[in-house]
Amino acid sequence: MEDLTLKLKEQIIEALNLEDMEVDEIETDEPLFGEGLGLDSIDALELIVLLEKNYGIKIENPKDGQKIFYSIKTMAEYITEHKS
Amino acid sequence: MVYINGTASLSPQNSLDYNKFLEGIIEYEKDFLQSIKPNYKEYMKPIAARRMSKTVKNGIICSQKALQEAKVDIPDAIIVGTGLGIVSDTEKFLENMLNNDEKFLTPTAFIQSTHNTVAAQIALKIKCHNYNFTYVNRGFSFESAVIDAIMHINEGKKNILIGGTDEMSEHYFHIIRKNGRWKKTKVKNTELLNYTTNGAICGEGVNFFVLSSEKKEDSYSEIKAINTFYKPENSEEINSKLQSFLNDADIKINDIDLVINGHTGNAAGDKIYDDFLQENFENKPALYYKHLTGEYQTANSFALWLGANILKTKIIPDFTRLNDKPISKVKNILIYNHYFNINHSFILLSQA
Repeated sequence: MEDLTLKLKEQIIEALNLEDMEVDEIETDEPLFGEGLGLDSIDALELIVLLEKNYGIKIENPKDGQKIFYSIKTMAEYITEHKS
Repeated sequence: MVYINGTASLSPQNSLDYNKFLEGIIEYEKDFLQSIKPNYKEYMKPIAARRMSKTVKNGIICSQKALQEAKVDIPDAIIVGTGLGIVSDTEKFLENMLNNDEKFLTPTAFIQSTHNTVAAQIALKIKCHNYNFTYVNRGFSFESAVIDAIMHINEGKKNILIGGTDEMSEHYFHIIRKNGRWKKTKVKNTELLNYTTNGAICGEGVNFFVLSSEKKEDSYSEIKAINTFYKPENSEEINSKLQSFLNDADIKINDIDLVINGHTGNAAGDKIYDDFLQENFENKPALYYKHLTGEYQTANSFALWLGANILKTKIIPDFTRLNDKPISKVKNILIYNHYFNINHSFILLSQA
């Protein structure tokens, strides 16, 4: 799981163009949206594509996104459960 | 009257800090010159910068610095000139389309790839709802922005933020190199004038200014006049345009103390500058600057930055000297630029 969270952080930095950020600046448990990292709806689209492109996971129900993308930890858990 | 009250430049040299710039030229031997990357974290949070390409970030930094220097919070207009816009983001989303077989497409690079992104992001950052315009007129892009700003000031506006921005990407560089515009091999910028081959040194940069109707104690200079002309037939036509320009500005050729030319290392293009100097300013000191920045469609904005700083500080960097004609005083500077003998322009700067 630790490897996956690290990889996810690297992929998020690349996908969201956070080039001036280091992986250790993103907390595994902190919320990705709102008061946490501060991502918004366009970033959500980027994260949906990231999951599909890198892990082959398609989110069928958009309402699930809120839980899946809550934090790096929840994303990693979802990937572990659903990775094809 | 139009005064320059604030400037900022990001280029392949240490131009963001003029004192460091004067310390010397940064030498390169490269295919094309790239702007020095500032520490963006000093100016914006990474999360705020995530949808900004290099040019947008550099535009935000330079505009902020120029506005701070001019002590202007909200300008009456934001006008930017760019030849290529945000070409790196355009390439990014096209590349994504190709590499992923038109799947997995995200909106960010596409949204940011429009040419007016720099002017728009500056407006968003400072919450400026005034006139916002971007000129994409190839080698006249920056000059068009200057002309528009002057017209706004003549109509009663007080402070206008203008900028010239261009970035060079690997893809675009290689495409244009194929048609012979850029040199076929790596170029040593400090030896630019020794090249006898065709093809220019390629570069990029971002230069911003606050133009104001009001002269201040620390104003850089006054923009007396600007003129553009397209594809002149020969040197006679250029000389004739010069005479008309100076007549309209009510200044004599002898009153020009210094000429800034845009030598690029392209033998054919540089001959135009050499003939221009020989036929009009044989005994006048002349400078050049594209060995510092490379050639790009808004490179003339760096010439304006250089000329404005020279008029303010009275310091002329040795590494910009084109000849060794003595310099007794510098009150009037003529900037003559052409972009591949297509887009020609004159800018007359005077001591404020």
